Amino acid sequence: MDALAKYVQWVWGLSIAVQVVVCGVLFFRGNFRRLPLFTIYVLSNVCQAVALYLIYNQFGFRSRAAVLIAWSSQCVPQLLRVLAISEILRLILKPYHGIWGLAWRVLAVAFGVVFSFALIDSGRDLSWAIALADRGFHLAFGVALVACLLLVHYYSILIHPVYKALLGGFCFYSCTVVMANTIGRTLSLHGNGDFRTGWQLLTMGTFVAVLAVWAVALRTRLPEPAHEEVAPLGAERIYWEMSPRINERLRALNEQLDHFWKPEATQP
Amino acid sequence: MSLTLIVLGATVALLLVLLVWTLSDTRQQQGSHAISALKEGGRAHVKFLPQMRRALEIGDGEFLARTRVRGLRERVGRERRRVALSYLSGLRQDFEELIHISRAIAALSPEIGAAQEIDRLRLKVIFLCRYRIIWISLRAGLAPLPQISDLSNLLSGFSVRLEEAMKELGERAAMVAEMASSSDRRRIHHA
Repeated sequence: MDALAKYVQWVWGLSIAVQVVVCGVLFFRGNFRRLPLFTIYVLSNVCQAVALYLIYNQFGFRSRAAVLIAWSSQCVPQLLRVLAISEILRLILKPYHGIWGLAWRVLAVAFGVVFSFALIDSGRDLSWAIALADRGFHLAFGVALVACLLLVHYYSILIHPVYKALLGGFCFYSCTVVMANTIGRTLSLHGNGDFRTGWQLLTMGTFVAVLAVWAVALRTRLPEPAHEEVAPLGAERIYWEMSPRINERLRALNEQLDHFWKPEATQP
Repeated sequence: MSLTLIVLGATVALLLVLLVWTLSDTRQQQGSHAISALKEGGRAHVKFLPQMRRALEIGDGEFLARTRVRGLRERVGRERRRVALSYLSGLRQDFEELIHISRAIAALSPEIGAAQEIDRLRLKVIFLCRYRIIWISLRAGLAPLPQISDLSNLLSGFSVRLEEAMKELGERAAMVAEMASSSDRRRIHHA
C-alpha cells in the first residue's frame, strides 16, 4: 500500500468507520425496515471499501489488476445507489400514483439521455472510458435526481427532512465526483501532475461529510409509510376531461396576451 | 481552462442551486390540501369585468377632453392605468389559481398524462413572460387599456365548468377521506 498516501488511508478508515455508524443507526432506529435498499447500499459500500483495502495491500494501488477490480466492483454500489434513490422517491410519492408514474419516467429518461451523451468519445482507452463512464454516471444521476425534485416541488409535495438529507447527500456527492473527475482529467491532459491523491481526498472527504449528515439525520425515526390514498371515484376521468380543457384555456390566454398590443385583438 | 471544465462546472453549479432551492422550500403539502383547494373554489377577479369595461371606456376619455379641465384627462388616465394594473395582477391570480387546481386534480388522479403536464408547464412559463412584458408596458404607459377585457372573457367562460368539476371531485374526495378516517377509528377501537 506504499503508493497510497498516509492521509488517504486515514480518510479511507474514517469513511469505513462512519459507514459502520450509519449502518448502526439504521438498524438501531429500525429505519432499515423503511429503507431496505438504502441499507443494502451502505452495507455494500462497507464491503467494497474493506475488499479494496485488501486488494490494494495485495497488488498495490497503481497495479492494473487493482484498478480493474476496483472499477468493476463499482458497478454494484452504483446500481444500488440508483435503487436506493428510487426507493426514497417511491416513499415520498407513494400517495400520488399519477405523479410517481410521471416521476419514474422522468428519472429513467433523464438518466438515460445524460448518460448516453456523457459516454460519447469514451472509446480511446480503458482508463479514459472508465473515467468518463464514472463521470457520466454521476452527472446523469445528479441531473435525473434534480429533475425529479423539481417535479416534486412543482406539485408542492412535502419531503420529510430525513429524505431531504438523503437525497441532498446523494446529489452533492455526485456533483463533487463530476467536478473531481473533470479537474483531474484536465490537469492530466495539460501535464500538470498527478491528481490521484487529490481526487481520492476530495471524493472520500465529501463522502465522509455526506455520511456524517446521513448519520445525524437518520437518528430520527422515519414516519410510518404513507397510506396509498384511495383516489376519489372518477378522479381519473375528471383529470382526463379537465386537463386538456385547462391547457386549451391557458393556450388561448397566451394568445390573447400575444395580441395585447394589436388593435384588431379578437374576441374569444 | 478547458471547455469541458467550464461547461461541467456551470452544470454542477446549476444542479447545486436547484438542489438547494427545491429542498429548502417550506411550502405546504399539496396532497393533503388538494381536497380543501377543491372545496374552496376559485376567487375569480373576472367578476369585476363590467366595472373594468366601464372604467376603460374610450368615450369617457373623449368626454373628459371636451370638458377642458386642465390635467383632468391625464390624472384620470393615470388612475385608470393603476386600476388596469391591479386588474391584470388579479387576472394573474386567477391564472395561478387555475394552475393550482389543475395540480390538485393531478395529485388526486391515479394516472396523469406526461404530455398534458409538460404542455401546462410550458404554457405557464410563456404566460408569465408575456404577463411581465405587458405589466412593464402598462407601467410605462405603452399598452392600450381596453383590450384587457378580452383576457377576462377567456377565464369567465371556463370557470363555470371548472367549478362543477371541482365540486364533484371535492365531494368525492371528502367522502373517501371520511371513509378512511372512520376505518382508522374502527382499527383504534379494535386495538
